[in-house]
Amino acid sequence: MANLLWLQGGACSGNTMSFLNAEEPSACDLVTDFGVNVLWHPSLGMELGDNLKKLLRALTSGEIALDIFVFEGTVVNAPDGTGEWNRFAGRPMKDWVADLAKVASFTVAIGDCATWGGIPATAPNPSESQGLQFLKRAHGGFLGKDYKSKAGLPVINIPGCPAHPDWITQIVVAVATGRGGDLTLDEFQRPKTFFTSFTQTGCTRNMHFAYKVSATEFGQRKGCLFYDLGCRGPMTHSPCNRILWNRQSSKTRAGMPCLGCTEPEFPFFELAPGTVFKTQTVMGVPKDMPSGVDKTGYVKLTAAAKAASPRWAEEDIFVV
Amino acid sequence: MNSEQQRAQLKKIAGLMRNGLKTQTEPFPETEREFAAILDQLRALDPENIEAKLVISGFVDHPYGPDKQRCMECMYYLVHREWCDLPELAVPVDADWWCRLWRI
Repeated sequence: MANLLWLQGGACSGNTMSFLNAEEPSACDLVTDFGVNVLWHPSLGMELGDNLKKLLRALTSGEIALDIFVFEGTVVNAPDGTGEWNRFAGRPMKDWVADLAKVASFTVAIGDCATWGGIPATAPNPSESQGLQFLKRAHGGFLGKDYKSKAGLPVINIPGCPAHPDWITQIVVAVATGRGGDLTLDEFQRPKTFFTSFTQTGCTRNMHFAYKVSATEFGQRKGCLFYDLGCRGPMTHSPCNRILWNRQSSKTRAGMPCLGCTEPEFPFFELAPGTVFKTQTVMGVPKDMPSGVDKTGYVKLTAAAKAASPRWAEEDIFVV
Repeated sequence: MNSEQQRAQLKKIAGLMRNGLKTQTEPFPETEREFAAILDQLRALDPENIEAKLVISGFVDHPYGPDKQRCMECMYYLVHREWCDLPELAVPVDADWWCRLWRI
């Protein structure tokens, strides 16, 4: 049996909604098949008021073992570092986070807000929000860069806005079944098993990317969304086109540009007007190239791809 | 537009530029806001007003700038159809032309 506690800081509950939609395994499977004991969760927990405080105190004192501490949402420090804007069970949530992280065997940050601050930490960041161990790309965050849980791992970051349901439950299962030590994390503490390939990996528009044919409107099935509509699929690490959403689709498959929500800078360009759903360019050349590609190579590739482009690439091959 | 109509329109556009149509090649839209402002101007036009489209978007009938930019490498250009697929333009074009809405 692995005790799991899930708390929410500055959050929209999107990751909770995602978690409750998990299928492989489902939230129920965690309990019935994988021995996860959900001590408390904002949408599932039965305890209220003093009973909840009692449970939390039992965890911080070590009376009850905390095997997996899951946190969703930012750590809110406002106003003036007090955390009073986000009180929970009689004290600032950030104080609970600090105490619970000390006793947790594994600490897992779910979603962008908990990992790197996400939308709440967008400038000017009025809630003084932080991720658990990052603030955007800067290592540190609320718990500090040297933090390690009792199992010896830093915070396990599962980013996304929201994180895919199965990313959440599969990592929880790995930890709950004693395979937490097998997890390999990248430089942003994301499990490599999910965050090494790109959103573009498996995208149905890859042939349009290859032949440089652009989609010009949302929902259009022909064309690649990278060239004009701001898609960040070629430089975003996620398995969104390998582990499909609702088992059948993804943003890019549906004609919606990837917003890069598994990367620390999300939301990109601090949501400045004109930066969302529009590829940012300098003299017509994208500012952000596909990962590993430089401008000279990109221009050469474009010329060659356009010259080699077959007729069918210009047509909507999904309509017959 | 059928292929005959497209050829006729391409010929008309080529003729306008050959006869010295002055178009707004500068300033190049450096930001998305500047780019969007040009698109707004195009959207306000009668879609049949080809000459105004060419002027606002800065069409020229040759490669442009030190990098010899041309429609051929632009992402809006459909090679086989010889067509600019930017919805606000939607005109037949030659691979060696250019306009300031060029993007790669």
